[in-house]
Amino acid sequence: MTAPAMELSNVNKTIGSKKIIKDLSFTINKGEVFGFIGPNGAGKTTTIRMMVGLMKITNGDVRILGKSIKTDYKDAVREVGAIVENPELYPFMSGWQNLKHFARMMPGITNERIMDVVKLLGMEKPIKEKVGRYSLGMRQRLGIAQALLHNPSVLILDEPTNGLDPAGIREIRKYIRKLAEEENVAVIISSHLLSEIELMCDRIGIIKNGELITTEYVHDTEDENLKQFSLEATPATEALHIIQNDFGFDVTTQDDMLTFKCAKEQMPPLTKALIEHNIQLYQVNMKNDSLEDKFFDLIGENTIE
Amino acid sequence: MSRFFKMVFNEQFKIYIRKSTWIMYILLAGIIIVAGVSTKAFVDLEDQYQNDDWREVMQEENAQLQKEQEEYQKKMEENEDSFSIGPDMSRVKKNNYYLEHDIQPTGYGAWQFVKDNEMLLSIVSLLTIIIAAGIVAQEFRWGTIKLLLIRPISRTQVLLSKYAAVLVFAFLTLLFVLSFSWIVGAILFGVEGINPEIVAPVDFLDMNTAYEQINIINSILTGYGYSLVNLVMMATFAFMISTVFKNGTLAIGTAVFLMFTGNSIVMFFSDHAWAKYILFANTNLKMYEDGTNQLFEGMTLGFSISVLVVYYIVFMVLSWLFFTKRDVAGQ
Repeated sequence: MTAPAMELSNVNKTIGSKKIIKDLSFTINKGEVFGFIGPNGAGKTTTIRMMVGLMKITNGDVRILGKSIKTDYKDAVREVGAIVENPELYPFMSGWQNLKHFARMMPGITNERIMDVVKLLGMEKPIKEKVGRYSLGMRQRLGIAQALLHNPSVLILDEPTNGLDPAGIREIRKYIRKLAEEENVAVIISSHLLSEIELMCDRIGIIKNGELITTEYVHDTEDENLKQFSLEATPATEALHIIQNDFGFDVTTQDDMLTFKCAKEQMPPLTKALIEHNIQLYQVNMKNDSLEDKFFDLIGENTIE
Repeated sequence: MSRFFKMVFNEQFKIYIRKSTWIMYILLAGIIIVAGVSTKAFVDLEDQYQNDDWREVMQEENAQLQKEQEEYQKKMEENEDSFSIGPDMSRVKKNNYYLEHDIQPTGYGAWQFVKDNEMLLSIVSLLTIIIAAGIVAQEFRWGTIKLLLIRPISRTQVLLSKYAAVLVFAFLTLLFVLSFSWIVGAILFGVEGINPEIVAPVDFLDMNTAYEQINIINSILTGYGYSLVNLVMMATFAFMISTVFKNGTLAIGTAVFLMFTGNSIVMFFSDHAWAKYILFANTNLKMYEDGTNQLFEGMTLGFSISVLVVYYIVFMVLSWLFFTKRDVAGQ
């Protein structure tokens, strides 16, 4: 088995006495687009900074293609292209001069390669202009161009669609998908824009208060037919009893609301059974389980501790 | 290794593409031109000695000055309260030196103008401090430090390339001052020869000083060379402050303040034995050649160089420690 594109194992970060990141472990495979989401202050950017060696890892390790960022920094970081936070480039230099500047810091990047990347991102026209005059969207693209120059195996983008108009977002999305599918690049995207992540990513990792809550596939194939239902019924305990024992669903209760997953076809017999047992049914809802719901289910309220 | 040169080139590129750098150079050029024009207008350039009759001219001048001196003394005796300035008797001494040694004075020209512009080195120091103060701090301010540090290059190399760029900037600016001064001098005064010698006072501050004949190019090299010590130390200091505190303004402020008050600080603490360990007590290495201005007992060239080296190492190690160990987080 080849090494995963990026592997975090028990990554911890302590600043002073405060634990910012707690035992973060997950892997990202080649050709995968991984969405890294969480509320503000959850530790997304800190994690990304540790992935690229901008911050020291207090405990644990990050491996890129099997190479540790701690002990094998140069070889590990060679495989990474990144934008950390905003795409900050030299405002007094042109786009081309900025790209040349970063190209000089890495081996074997020809002018042709730079031009290819520029074309790829559709920036031929403004490339000779000073970056200070760029719109946020153009800077975002130039930032991505800068990250792609050396053909990295792992591309890390912090809020890549920030400041782009809808057409730009679609273009970037298509481009990221293409990179992952055709060039087998592992792409890590952090974002608060959940709908955006949903369209772009294969898998998401949700982080809250420095802890990884879950990683899951955006398009859960095995659960495709299962929908989430919630129903309000009294007495709730009796209803719970019936649904659990007679139908075998996994039910969570909150007051008189019962929530569980089942196939659509199973609902009529279930309601019928409940009515036959003299249970009062007030409402039955089927949820379209979007990522946003998943997110809020997992995160609860958006709290910063 | 060639990567390192490319990185120094990158830093140079970032320095010279900015308008502020060009404004510095234009300012410097302006100062040189003003200095040249005012030298031509107001300074005695010893033109009167350039003809074959220079001996007679000097003797006449000496006699004239002698007469004036006598009149002046008589006037002073008659009226003790009056205050006026007597004739410049150092001129007589200088003329006598020429006559005794039978040297015709060399006319003023490009080389002497370059030598006279030695004081411009403090402006070169100032500009170098400004560059050194910004070169690390600005990357943090712009946020570009993140893009610099995620390359397959160690932080030590990034830091060293920046430091090297500061020294290259100082060198190029110095070269600019030398060559531009020479060109302005050549245009305004002409060139006095390939390897001219002039007669100059041994000690500029002493009214009764003796005179000696010196080689101008030698004098330029040693004069500028000694001043470089101070330039490099202050630039390194500014670089250190900039790296440790990520604050360019603070770095410029402290470095410029210390550059101008350094000697006063030494004077202020001169009662204490430890004052000889202050950086600024040791930056003027010329004092060992002149034998003048020995500040403290027991100071030797070796002592001063050791003190300078220790300061230099401390500055560099502090910069390096802070730069390589730091977590690069948001502003």
